[in-house]
Amino acid sequence: MGRRLMVMTVAGAGVAVVAGAALFVSGEQGSQAAGSALRASAWEDPLTGQEIAQATTIASAGSRSHMAAGRIKLLYVERDDDKDASPGRRSADAYLYDYGSDRLIVRTVDLGRGEIVRETVARGVQPPPSKEEETTAAALLLAHPGYGRTVREAYTKAGGGPLRSAAELGLRGLIFTPSGERGSAKECEVHRCLRLFVRLPDGTWLDTSRMVVDLSAKKIHTLEW
Amino acid sequence: MFLRLTLSCALLAGGLAAPPSAPRAPIPLPPQPTSSGAATPSGTPAAPATGTGARPPSAPCNAPYRVDKTLPNGARWQLCWEMRNVEGLTLTRIVYTPRGHRPITVLRSTSLAQIHVPYDRGRPRYHDIGSLGYAAIPLRAADCPLGERREQFVCVTTRARGHAYLKAVPDRLNMTAQGRDLVVFAAFQVGWYTYLAEWAFSDDGAITPRVGATGSLAGFTTTPEHGWPIGVGATGFEANHTHNIFWRLDFDVSGRADDVVEQYDFSGSGTATRRIQRTVFAKEAKAVSRPMRWWRVVDRKVRNADGHRVSWEINNSDTAQYRGPADEAFTRADLYVTDYRSCERLATVNPSPGCARSVDRYTNGERLTDPVLWVNVGYHHVPRDEDADPMPSHWQGFRITPRDVTAKNPH
Repeated sequence: MGRRLMVMTVAGAGVAVVAGAALFVSGEQGSQAAGSALRASAWEDPLTGQEIAQATTIASAGSRSHMAAGRIKLLYVERDDDKDASPGRRSADAYLYDYGSDRLIVRTVDLGRGEIVRETVARGVQPPPSKEEETTAAALLLAHPGYGRTVREAYTKAGGGPLRSAAELGLRGLIFTPSGERGSAKECEVHRCLRLFVRLPDGTWLDTSRMVVDLSAKKIHTLEW
Repeated sequence: MFLRLTLSCALLAGGLAAPPSAPRAPIPLPPQPTSSGAATPSGTPAAPATGTGARPPSAPCNAPYRVDKTLPNGARWQLCWEMRNVEGLTLTRIVYTPRGHRPITVLRSTSLAQIHVPYDRGRPRYHDIGSLGYAAIPLRAADCPLGERREQFVCVTTRARGHAYLKAVPDRLNMTAQGRDLVVFAAFQVGWYTYLAEWAFSDDGAITPRVGATGSLAGFTTTPEHGWPIGVGATGFEANHTHNIFWRLDFDVSGRADDVVEQYDFSGSGTATRRIQRTVFAKEAKAVSRPMRWWRVVDRKVRNADGHRVSWEINNSDTAQYRGPADEAFTRADLYVTDYRSCERLATVNPSPGCARSVDRYTNGERLTDPVLWVNVGYHHVPRDEDADPMPSHWQGFRITPRDVTAKNPH
């Protein structure tokens, strides 16, 4: 495709590792390469837990105030597998989302040099949801007067007893992108919106096919069809 | 829909032995490997010539991410795996070594690129890749028969694939062999469905990527014209739907350089003759499946011992060819060929800033220097009573077959 890439190259900016920035590590992404922490990683090895923590710290450093306020969140860190990259250099892509401006920020961290070497930003681009976002979406669903009651009743009926928190639900989130929908769901062309699958204690799944959780607006859209 | 592409087309009157341009002199074949010492049944072993970068790096990954399997007939497959957050199971640095030959790189990487699930009623329409890595199901021993589990989520095993060949020889025993596959797979829980993402590497050099959908039906009921009656009587109609599964395949045949994608058709219908037609994709292209049509990724410089260009053939003839509405243009072709860009990761809902959102938009006429193939296989699921829990797996996939990688059957 054409060269429309908006890249802010910040190589050499020398973003320092900020002590304490690990505060912003979501804590939900474990090592992708458990057991390999004690030896040098080969080029194609998944990121180690140490590398994920390092990338998280470096990539979060420039957004600390927004992250502390909950406006920006780190979604996850992926190994940068670009074959155009220098052979032997390990780097990681940190995915951050700014719910205030609906911008996705991807910061590529050179793990050897310990600095951000590339940042790309776009509005309306939605990577898959993180585990934390799935729980946040479920909490919004439970806070909804109608849907919240429906979920709680279904949970109890399925043998789960009283539902105490969203974390007790089996959750799986998908990005919702409007495809000719009417009504407020059209806002999801820019907002960060999730479809949520909710598994109940008896192994069945709620019919959530008409519910869309808007993490940007913190509300639920009901699809009309 | 027919081809929508800019291309250079060459009609071959006499078959592939006479390409329109003068063939380059074959690269001298490297010395035969001495370690195996195994002669093929059909004579002297032939080695795929190795161009620049053809020798795979010695250790692109460590255990437990390394798979290195020599199957009973001597065919060897080497690859690395990674469970990525977004794409889930991703295989990289795939190298094939036919018995008695040198290794040849096939794919730099391959993974699922989307599972698009539109329902016949029009709604809902899911894009099922949502952090597949998080959705991986821990496998138990029974889930990975005769194999080994790697970090809970990946199964590496082998299984029978039936007759590799059977030939009667007068006054002697039949020539016969049973084939075997190396299989690498992971399972993902996406709502009601369990998806089994599997790559089978055969001992004849073929690769079969496929996905099995199992778990549970969604339980969506609909009107009779969009569903099938499930359960007692004919009051509840389970909704018909399609799974349009996209794979991303970054071929690096004998290294990254000099890979070209060709399309083959065979003209003539209602006639006694069929004429071979070759279309070379000089630029990014979209193509649809047709009877007898196939594609291949060929290295322009590397040849087998017979002087034929080494290639891998892609056959996607088993697709439902779902075609969606105008705002789902990514459904309008069964194969996309794009020039490599690291930010082009998923076929729809692409998660990269500064990059297009879907594979149809990646395909915009750039000259191809390092082709990436996106294969779209559709399966239309009309539920049936037998789909009651646990729903039997329904499979969809395609075939990648070596074409002229070796001069003879190496096994």
